[in-house]
Amino acid sequence: MMKTKTWAALVGGFLLLSVIAALIVYLRPAPGTVANIYRDGEPLCSVDLSLVTEPYEFTLTDGRGSNVIRAEPGRIAVVDADCPDRICVKSGWHSDSAAPIVCLPHRLVIRIEKNAAAGSEAVPDAVSQ
Amino acid sequence: MDLTVYGGPDGILTGAEELIRSLEAEFSVTDPESGVSRLNAAGYGPVSPETAEVLETALALSARTDGAFDCTVYPVLRAWGFTTGEYRVPSQAELDSLLPLTDWRKITVSGGSVTFGEGQKIDFGGIAKGYAGDRLIALFREAGVTSALVNLGGNVQTLGTKPDGSLWRVAVKDPGGEGYAGIVETADRAVVTSGGYERYFEENGRTYVHILDPKTGFPASAGLLSVTVVGERGILCDGLSTALYVMGEERAAELYRGSGDFDMVLLTEDGRILLTEGLADCFTPAGDWADAEITVIRHDEN
Amino acid sequence: MKNGTKRLTTDALFTAAALGIFVIELQIPSIGIPGVKLGLANIVTVAAAFLIGPWDAGAVLLCRILLAGMFSGQVMALWYSLAGGALCWLTMLPMRKILTAKQIWVMSVIGAVAHNIGQIAVALIVTRTAAILYYLPVLMISGVLAGLFTGFAAQFSVGRLEPVVRKIFR
Repeated sequence: MMKTKTWAALVGGFLLLSVIAALIVYLRPAPGTVANIYRDGEPLCSVDLSLVTEPYEFTLTDGRGSNVIRAEPGRIAVVDADCPDRICVKSGWHSDSAAPIVCLPHRLVIRIEKNAAAGSEAVPDAVSQ
Repeated sequence: MDLTVYGGPDGILTGAEELIRSLEAEFSVTDPESGVSRLNAAGYGPVSPETAEVLETALALSARTDGAFDCTVYPVLRAWGFTTGEYRVPSQAELDSLLPLTDWRKITVSGGSVTFGEGQKIDFGGIAKGYAGDRLIALFREAGVTSALVNLGGNVQTLGTKPDGSLWRVAVKDPGGEGYAGIVETADRAVVTSGGYERYFEENGRTYVHILDPKTGFPASAGLLSVTVVGERGILCDGLSTALYVMGEERAAELYRGSGDFDMVLLTEDGRILLTEGLADCFTPAGDWADAEITVIRHDEN
Repeated sequence: MKNGTKRLTTDALFTAAALGIFVIELQIPSIGIPGVKLGLANIVTVAAAFLIGPWDAGAVLLCRILLAGMFSGQVMALWYSLAGGALCWLTMLPMRKILTAKQIWVMSVIGAVAHNIGQIAVALIVTRTAAILYYLPVLMISGVLAGLFTGFAAQFSVGRLEPVVRKIFR
């Protein structure tokens, strides 16, 4: 049997490593200003946050539900969603973070990257019908 | 109703909603107190400037499309139940009795006063949304808005470009499914689509769509699934999309070559896309239509 | 552990306790990082592993996850819980043999961390987005802290409950 102190040291060491890793990840700036929005890993649309002059909102909907996304000059957030946990909304504004906004129930990911993802912009502003 | 407005004074959206409500109150055929309902009941009388303007545009459109658009088709439309949702196939005798009422030539508009032919009734269903869109865009423009998108039940009208300067991306609904048949990239234009898929019913294995050919009183069957008209005036796009659906691809192309105020996308029943030259570079087919055969209609061909 | 009826009753009791705790935790609002939560129901899992053995603890865990999935009505959440729960249970299996009664909290910490790894693995698969891994360090930190909390709660419970359970199965 290992001593309790040894276990405590192991757990403490792991915690310290995690904190360092988290700091590295979070302090690393985003590589660019383009917010790419993915669903199921496929690019949906892109917003170059550096080009946004007036705030605007758009809604992304599929069979699982809707996310209302708001783009402002230099930053982006999910401002409303009908997913059960609403973690994407609580995640708040993202401007220069490499960590993505994630809505797991709707399989939606928003990442701030250098360039618009290939194949994005599939989402129209409106549907004529 | 879906309004996206960038900039502009506070309360601009409230003003827009008031405008929509007042136009609804004027044009509704279900509200017996509306201006159009009272006109239909009386058969003549003074009308509001709005009704006069829309009616004059409707009549001009009827003349231009040789009656393929006709706002006096309303009694026939009602016989089919398309106005109420209680669908039925009227008998030929019933249609024969109603068809003489469908004739835009019998309507006269002069000095704010309108006279119908005997028993005629009108309905702005195929044109009112486009007019409302035009009025909204004008309201926004006057208020100093430089970027706006108006979506009135599938009638899309744009003012300026998107706030970031890029073109608006307006999808054309896939008439056969849930997705899009393509994307029109545009600015300062209305994009209006008409198609049988919007409303139809089936009886004894036949499908009856809600767009009637005013000449026969029967649902139009000119080989088109949908018609999308792109132009500066929403009211024109709205009426033309209905008329061109009735006219079919050849007469539609003919009308286009004699005009200069609109562009169109025709989706045919045999899976082809017809584009007019103004859209050749700004329409991208998508989904099930991505690989469809595309024909570009040009002004200077015969 | 033998004795069918007593065993079934005990397992059911543990499941009921876990479910009750789970429902209480549903009331705690989530924060803006996917997967970060206290995992209070883990107290029961850890305590059960020590008190009624890993197989019964596994059964309790499985029943709790399935029933909780039905209670919350979140089908997708069920898959995350199953993956997290399975990984958590697998790490607990050997741990029980090498830990003393004063080290129960260690099992909880390792279980919580394993649980979060299982969840992030499912998230990777469903979103097909490697960027999810950005949340890995944070989830490790939250796993350790939540595991410590639930672990000491479990250790305290085991101390109190052991004589009772022993009496039942004498």
